[in-house]
Amino acid sequence: MHNELEAAFGQLLAARCTPEVVRRIERGEAADGLWRDLADSGFADALVPEAQGGAGLALRDVLPLVQACGEYALPLPFAETMAARAVFAHAGQTAPAGPMDLDAVATLLAAEDARTLLAAINTALIAGAGARVLALSLQHAQQRVQFGKPIGSFQAVQHQLAVMAEQACAARMASQLAFASSTHLPDRSLAAMAMNVAGDAAAILVSGSHAVHGAIGVTAEFDLQLYTRRLLVWRTRGGSPSYWARKVAAQWQASGSPRAVDFALSTLAGATSR
Amino acid sequence: MFENLTLTAIPAEDEALREPVRAFLDERLAGMAPDRRARSWSGFDAAFSRALGERGWIGLTLPKQHGGGGRSLFARFVLVEELLRAGAPVAAHWIADRQSAPHILKFGTAAQAAFYLPRICRGEAFFCIGMSEPGTGSDLASVRTRATRTGTGWRLDGQKIWTTNAHRSHYMIALVRTSGDAGDRHKGLSQVIVDLSLPGVTIRPITDLTGDAHFCEVFFDGVELADDALIGNEGDGWAQVTSELAYERSGPERIYSSVVLLDEWLKHLRQQPGPSQRALALAGRVLAATTVLRCLSVSVNGLLAQGQSPVVEAALVKDLGTSLEQMLPEAIADVLGEDPDATLPEGLLRTLSYTAQIAPTFSLRGGTREVLRGMIARGLGLR
Repeated sequence: MHNELEAAFGQLLAARCTPEVVRRIERGEAADGLWRDLADSGFADALVPEAQGGAGLALRDVLPLVQACGEYALPLPFAETMAARAVFAHAGQTAPAGPMDLDAVATLLAAEDARTLLAAINTALIAGAGARVLALSLQHAQQRVQFGKPIGSFQAVQHQLAVMAEQACAARMASQLAFASSTHLPDRSLAAMAMNVAGDAAAILVSGSHAVHGAIGVTAEFDLQLYTRRLLVWRTRGGSPSYWARKVAAQWQASGSPRAVDFALSTLAGATSR
Repeated sequence: MFENLTLTAIPAEDEALREPVRAFLDERLAGMAPDRRARSWSGFDAAFSRALGERGWIGLTLPKQHGGGGRSLFARFVLVEELLRAGAPVAAHWIADRQSAPHILKFGTAAQAAFYLPRICRGEAFFCIGMSEPGTGSDLASVRTRATRTGTGWRLDGQKIWTTNAHRSHYMIALVRTSGDAGDRHKGLSQVIVDLSLPGVTIRPITDLTGDAHFCEVFFDGVELADDALIGNEGDGWAQVTSELAYERSGPERIYSSVVLLDEWLKHLRQQPGPSQRALALAGRVLAATTVLRCLSVSVNGLLAQGQSPVVEAALVKDLGTSLEQMLPEAIADVLGEDPDATLPEGLLRTLSYTAQIAPTFSLRGGTREVLRGMIARGLGLR
């Protein structure tokens, strides 16, 4: 069921949210058409309870959807809208139509929860775009020839790509932690940890992918920048990795688990019980 | 890319092992200095290993018929995580438990399993790994130590080096050449179990920069081995050793080598009336990194439990893990030194000093960082 959901949404974005469409919207052209496609798909109500006409899914079910938004550099706040519509529904209110960011639910959600929700969304967007820039970098390393062979055959480039793969895995695991919730809201502790790790991973994926691509990677014409510019935004939007590190430290100070493994275990208990 | 590394829960029946193990360790290790506990899986204590064996905590995943616990790999993850968290001196049985015993079970004959495994599980047979040689480090296929057929078995000649705890082990599983020469690379390699008490075996410990002597030079001078010293098939040594390395790289010991230092520092930080923002940011960062890494490590464990051989995934998690393990002593020393006039607890300083000195080995042992990144690159299709 989740794989089908993921596949259907991925196909929609692959068809409708092409790099050409992303560039047109970034140039200021109206995004109404793309938004209508997304709205018509019904995915925006994935987190709304079934009794209120939604799909009644939990945060952990919609992770692939948000990752896909990152993977396709979606230039619209679809994930934020999906989350906000759930908040409206749970408050018994009718959500306004159209795209919105989390400011729309500022009065319905504790500030800490709104910030945590945005952090969770960021981790998934980073995981999606991170996987994309790794794939683009691998492709480029295998095609670009210098000194008579693909640059991907040079050890220095291979090791750079290996480090990127590690960081892409760390970011994806972080996003799974941030979304490990059976409600429409993430666990504060898990999301804080996840965003710290995903934010650090984003920086390495951006610098690594540009290093592998050389000059072509910083041109407007080449697609890499569609993802790396967004990674840089998501990395610090609503709090940088250091902000989230201090959140984690505050949670640790307040917890009854001074030791590292114990704190990890008690925090991870939130991933299974929620 | 590596999408099989997903959030994996440890089954409740395996998680239940944590409490009795922790209770035993709290009692047994009470009063042990933190810089001794920081030795972690390098700390050698045969009596401690036998005490674990008595409780059934060696060979936990081995079949009961061989004296094992018949438990899952998740149960072993919980056990090992607790041993590392406590800084228990597990080195005596560590290699046998982690890789020699599963290796003998997988490739050995029924007679070999019956001979070695029950004693391993009781904490009475300790093993070491005979891979590196003076001219053979990362390039493992270049081994020169040779086992030659005799009328009754094998004659072993050559030398191993950096063999951890050879001087305190009973047996070595050695990668040796049984045909051809070093130029034949992966062909002609086999594995033999060497009884280290045999005539012709000479073992010399090497002292490291911390003053410990854990690794050794081992010389074989016409050592006569019985026919059944061969483990697995003659000529299959390379494939067997590769399979052995998957066990060696996948465990939680690749993320927790500095955890005793981390806990000592966190304890100190909690006692500070006004910790610096930098110190708190570091604490948050390493706690977050530890938690995500632990999830990745459990996930690799889950793949092993499914019967897969996640060689590349294990390399990936080990490289991430050793980076954290090595970053810790450096970063902790830096924040502690923010105030050069502060009086710091001696236990913390000794633990920091030991961990900082030994940390370079974290990305050498079990395959260097460079070798692992090469394996990941191969997994990415670049080689």
